[in-house]
Amino acid sequence: MHKTKTLQRLALATALMTTLWGGSAHAVDISFFRFFGDCKTEFGDVTDMAKANGECGIITALTNKFNAENTIGAKVVTQTVDWGAYYDLLTATYSTGNIPDVAVMHASVMPNFSDRDLLTPLTKPMADLGIDTADFVPAALKNASAKGEVYALPYDLHALLFHVNMDLMKKAGLVNADGSPILPKSPEELLEQGKKFKEVTGKYYIGSESQSSEGMMVRVFDTLTWQQGVDVLSADGKTASISTPEGLNAAKLISSLYSEGLVNSALDYPGSEQAFLNGETGILINGTWGVDNYDTQAKSGKVALKDYRVANVPQIYSKPAVWADSHMWVIPKDDGRSAEKTEAALAFLKFLNDNNFQWSRTGHLSVRQSVLNSEEFKALPHRAEFADTTKNATALPQIQNQRAVYNAMTTDLNAMWLTGTDPQTAVDAMQAGVERILRRNR
Amino acid sequence: MSANSLIAARRRDALAAYLFLAPFGLIYITFLVYPLFKGLWISLHDWELAGSYREYIGFLNYEDLWTDTIFWKAVGNTLTFVAMTVPTMTALALVLALAVFGQGRLKGVLRSIFFMSSVFSVSVVTLVWSMVLSADNGLLVPFFHFIGMKPVNFLGHPTLAMPSIALTTLWWGVGLPMALFLAALSQIPGELYEAAELDHASRFTVLRRITLPSIRHTVLLVLVLQIVGQFQIFGQAHLMTQGGPANRTRTLVQYIYETSFRDWQVGYATAMSFGLFLLMLGFTMLQLWLGRKGDE
Repeated sequence: MHKTKTLQRLALATALMTTLWGGSAHAVDISFFRFFGDCKTEFGDVTDMAKANGECGIITALTNKFNAENTIGAKVVTQTVDWGAYYDLLTATYSTGNIPDVAVMHASVMPNFSDRDLLTPLTKPMADLGIDTADFVPAALKNASAKGEVYALPYDLHALLFHVNMDLMKKAGLVNADGSPILPKSPEELLEQGKKFKEVTGKYYIGSESQSSEGMMVRVFDTLTWQQGVDVLSADGKTASISTPEGLNAAKLISSLYSEGLVNSALDYPGSEQAFLNGETGILINGTWGVDNYDTQAKSGKVALKDYRVANVPQIYSKPAVWADSHMWVIPKDDGRSAEKTEAALAFLKFLNDNNFQWSRTGHLSVRQSVLNSEEFKALPHRAEFADTTKNATALPQIQNQRAVYNAMTTDLNAMWLTGTDPQTAVDAMQAGVERILRRNR
Repeated sequence: MSANSLIAARRRDALAAYLFLAPFGLIYITFLVYPLFKGLWISLHDWELAGSYREYIGFLNYEDLWTDTIFWKAVGNTLTFVAMTVPTMTALALVLALAVFGQGRLKGVLRSIFFMSSVFSVSVVTLVWSMVLSADNGLLVPFFHFIGMKPVNFLGHPTLAMPSIALTTLWWGVGLPMALFLAALSQIPGELYEAAELDHASRFTVLRRITLPSIRHTVLLVLVLQIVGQFQIFGQAHLMTQGGPANRTRTLVQYIYETSFRDWQVGYATAMSFGLFLLMLGFTMLQLWLGRKGDE
């Protein structure tokens, strides 16, 4: 009997507590949908930005900081999604109904959403909040806009880079007097230097993701084709120029890098990063997102990579160009969203924009002119080494279904080293696959 | 009893029967019949996943399908995969069931071990096997180095990628059919074996004349379940090879998924699903027909 009474009291107390707690809780929760990984165990409580590093750490800490400091009682609830499934899940929310309040989106993916009126227009809200769109670099603002309306808060410009292990380059004698790495200026030099590197060090000249998942080499292929003055896809998105003499040149060059044994063809994405940190590859071709991570690891002294340096993807043909894309924040359109949630979502965007510098610490290039001009940005490690990347950054035109285009190219390009198809067959298959997708675009 | 009251009684019985059937009928209609026809309806449209674009286009999706080379490649890959997995899975499950059937602690432990892999999710299974098969730092790499060979890139190899996925699937899925066979084996009356022992029948004869004929229906069940299951191969290919290299492992369900969720073309994807439905229906019917023929 006594026990029952205690239990009853306990239940009553719990119920009361819950009510009180509920009453004093945050006015509004907003759901936040993103990739960049989950690192709650490491950065779940961090609000001091100086203690956060890497993409995942910095965005997690920024979210924590917003939750701790905002005065409107907003709480951002993060849902991290694996990168490979992210857009499939985001798209599905429009059918299932649990549309997130804030989501990350690539510039290359936005046309699919903005063309169908699936994003909240942001021109007026941004002006009301005092987000100065004139501060965005023109390319970034263009990425975030469609038909004269801004649909996204641009957050970075990310591009392909050469991440270099200088100890190995020194060993191979590929270092300039000023300490920078000697990088190729022509296709012939690329192969020569690669062979020299391999001979002297006995290691792979390039280590990059080479399986069927990420398509890192598609970005290299785009880069090499653009460098020859040919647009991979036409600006109107109607035609592809892959099966062209220039496309064939690019494919042949990539193919010979593999057939000469200069690139390790067995690496997947995590494997390629690990091999670079283990000091097994001279150059890792990967994006701006890796800079902070590799720099931190090299400085920690815990990995074989000690002397880490970054370089722009070199100009091998007649024009400078490098593959680029952009991360942006959007508010997916949801007619059922309350005014309070919209207000909180916009406040979060404003906060993220105010802290744009923090994001550029990852290695990404800032999209805000004021940040790019700031001393603190210039003082970030390695930034001078890839300063030209902003100038050379080239993106595919803003057309629909770029993910399908990318996957179709990955499958047939990677077939060169995985299944032994010759470059001509590869570019023909890529052309056919991409045309099939472009035909469907409205 | 008059004719009238007889009719009334019958009516009451029928009503009761329908009432008892109603819950099942409702669920069946809501979740199977309705979606089937809705699917047919969607497949006659240019129907997008997100947004509101829907346009009636008749049989255009099916015409497109007819000339879609990747679709036919996916059909071929799926059939190859089914041919690789269904017979081996059934045979392996039977062999394992025969080996671990009966009393004894070791057999009990082995039964649990063989069944255990089935409880993992596809992501766990593919992660484990990707680690085993990786040519960069996989479990087999030291072995290749030991025999002085360059490690084989199983998942990136044009002819070995699909068998690697089949192997993963075998390891993952063998538990359930084994359990079904174990259940069937325990149903065989012990007298049959005693009689065989009295006749000095060899172990092989016992297997061929008593065990196999007694579990024939379970073999058929396992085969049909396997056909239906393996035709829908998706997660393993999607997670381990992404359909590569060069579309060698792109399967039908994966292509359907990509078309609807990546490319948003639900109408076209639904048309493909009907293709898969017909394929599975055909093979299952063939299997049942062959099984019934044996009964006669």
